[in-house]
Amino acid sequence: MAFEEAPQTSGDRAKGYLRSAGHSTRMFLRVMRANPLTFIGFIMVVAICAVAVIMLTAPHLLTPYGNNDPTTDYAAPPSWQHPMGTDSGGLDIYAEVLYAVPVDLFIAMAIAGVALLFGGALGLIAGFWDEPGTAGGWASVIILRITDIFLSFPSLILALAIAVSLGRGIWQLIVAILVTWWPYYVRLVRGEVLAIKHLPYVTAARAAGVANTRIVSRHIVRNVLEPVVVYFTLDIGTVLVTLSTIGFVGLGLNYPITPEWGSMISTYQGAGLITAYPWTVLGPGLAIFVTVLAFSLLGDGLRDILDPRSRRVLAGEGGGPSTSVAEKQEEAQDTAAEISPPEVAEGSEGGPAPVPSAAGGGSGS
Amino acid sequence: MTPNIVSVEGLSIDYVVGAGRFRAVSDVSLEVPEGQVVGIVGETGCGKSTLAQAIPRLLPEPPATIGAGRILFGDIDLVKVPMWKMPMIRGTGISMIFQEPLNSLNPSFRIYDQLAEAIQIRRIRESGRVARPTHEQAGYDYTRAPMPETGEVLSKPFVPGGYTAKAARKAMTPYPALRGEVLEYLTLVRINDPETILDLYPHELSGGMRQRVMIAMALSEKPRLLIADEPTSALDVTIQAQVLTLMKELIDEVHTSILFISHDLGVIAETADQVGVMYAGKLVEFGPVADIFQNPRHPYTKALLRAAPTLYKSEGPLDTIAGSVPNLSRPPPGCRFHPRCPLARPVCKAEPAPALLQVEGAAGGHRSACHFATEVPNLP
Repeated sequence: MAFEEAPQTSGDRAKGYLRSAGHSTRMFLRVMRANPLTFIGFIMVVAICAVAVIMLTAPHLLTPYGNNDPTTDYAAPPSWQHPMGTDSGGLDIYAEVLYAVPVDLFIAMAIAGVALLFGGALGLIAGFWDEPGTAGGWASVIILRITDIFLSFPSLILALAIAVSLGRGIWQLIVAILVTWWPYYVRLVRGEVLAIKHLPYVTAARAAGVANTRIVSRHIVRNVLEPVVVYFTLDIGTVLVTLSTIGFVGLGLNYPITPEWGSMISTYQGAGLITAYPWTVLGPGLAIFVTVLAFSLLGDGLRDILDPRSRRVLAGEGGGPSTSVAEKQEEAQDTAAEISPPEVAEGSEGGPAPVPSAAGGGSGS
Repeated sequence: MTPNIVSVEGLSIDYVVGAGRFRAVSDVSLEVPEGQVVGIVGETGCGKSTLAQAIPRLLPEPPATIGAGRILFGDIDLVKVPMWKMPMIRGTGISMIFQEPLNSLNPSFRIYDQLAEAIQIRRIRESGRVARPTHEQAGYDYTRAPMPETGEVLSKPFVPGGYTAKAARKAMTPYPALRGEVLEYLTLVRINDPETILDLYPHELSGGMRQRVMIAMALSEKPRLLIADEPTSALDVTIQAQVLTLMKELIDEVHTSILFISHDLGVIAETADQVGVMYAGKLVEFGPVADIFQNPRHPYTKALLRAAPTLYKSEGPLDTIAGSVPNLSRPPPGCRFHPRCPLARPVCKAEPAPALLQVEGAAGGHRSACHFATEVPNLP
């Protein structure tokens, strides 16, 4: 076997990447087939994202009406022309629900995403560099106490208070919820890091001379990722519900101008409208339900996909060839050991001393 | 006289647990000469693993603290090196193999990635891109054993060159450029079908294979000192024998010094050149392996050897050492072994055990920490 590796062209490298991309796609599809609920969730999430993109670029493909564009039918129940009916002002509920998809999705993902990055980074620092007395230890104490302060407020009330003081608008809403959202990620990530950082493979990496920053960025992040990504996916649903709650109490977005599901429900539930025209709240309610369900289904199965142990099993690879490789090798080495038992090797030319056999010394400690 | 790779001088390590403080390793001095295998043997809880992990400063500090002593690696005192500089010494300087092959590989990465990371660390250091606090590395000793083909990689002397852009680029080469070298190390540790193993995750390998991968990782960094902390303890007897055979073969191929920790006398007898026997945190006897095993000069060593199961003894119950290892937070006064010692006399309780001293009538370098070392051969 040659020590010098063959010179690599960029073509070779590209081919390698393509091959591995094809492999992971096949693996992904197989896992999805083994886990139908996750697959449904995945399809739903992809569909919702596709709808969001279409509504941003070419809304006329899905609905003939524009945003905040009254039709001539007032308070019409659901029909073929208006699948979710219209409100008393003549707005098509179906069109409004669709226009709200990118808005709601953006707000939810922005909040959960920023909370994940910000809170996750703080959690990594607080979890990994926590030796008391060092600079890292102090940083960790400060991070955790600030987290505690934020956690000690009832989060929804705090978010409402901030939303009131900042006024209406997408960015104001994001900031208001974000302030109450990041501490949970600090706690989650810190807990995971604390559990992982004393595992033997982290010590082994340290023994191999891997620097601390690289241990965190490579070994720890990869193993924390699994529960955190699952939490993140489920969290998008929770943010949506919170968002709708704030919209419902009337502090969300300005509905007819900026469509948003929670604000829609809030607008329609007042003044007895909900009993007179129930379809007006059914549309946005259904949209919230479907979106939250989609992310929850996806999140449940994501853990199995991210964990290499269960991934291979799901993909139907683990039970098959790989274990047999391990067994084959074990067998081969067993027979090798039988042919030349190491116990009678020439190592013990010492003589009459009570030299115990290598294998006989027992393996318990 | 070969130079020492590592010499530990009067090392004491305390654990502070709650209000209590106990000395897991007290006043241990030993040297690992270049190209030699030094074994440390002793019962569970006598401080072997603490000593092994203290040398590359892998002990979590706190709760552990190094109370006194020096750990000289070349001319650097590792006790004084700040923690953030230690990664530069670990790996290519001092590498380690652990007891638990099950958990010592990162479960989320393929075998290739894990081995490639170790090789990359060495390459980056060889390329001179990072500062290293170690002294100039000497070449490997070519005279010790003939070179087998598989060890070709390891025979290349590790002399850090100056920084060159080409070397730096090469050090950073990504997947799959290190494949050849990774395969070479997997072949070196006698893994069948290394091409398949590369793409597997650790949980898909058996315990023995994982330990082989660990050994390959440690060796791929070409360490000056390899610390093997009970590498065979977690494996069943057949695999233990295989891994041990492999290590014995590798010791001849790889010109590195090894500190081999084990509670298994047989393992030490087969691998080590010199042995240190530890009891209750103290080194009680140190010397050439043949002399220690044939002619022990400390009552504890003698008792240990008698208690080991052998093929030659076919009748009667196994011998045991009465009592158990003392609680290290309240060690017995005087010599720590005296409550269990057949030779114990009043002086053993009144005075601390003597320092490790050359025993009269024993082979050169055979040192014992017993007042009555000369009487030990008369014990049954």
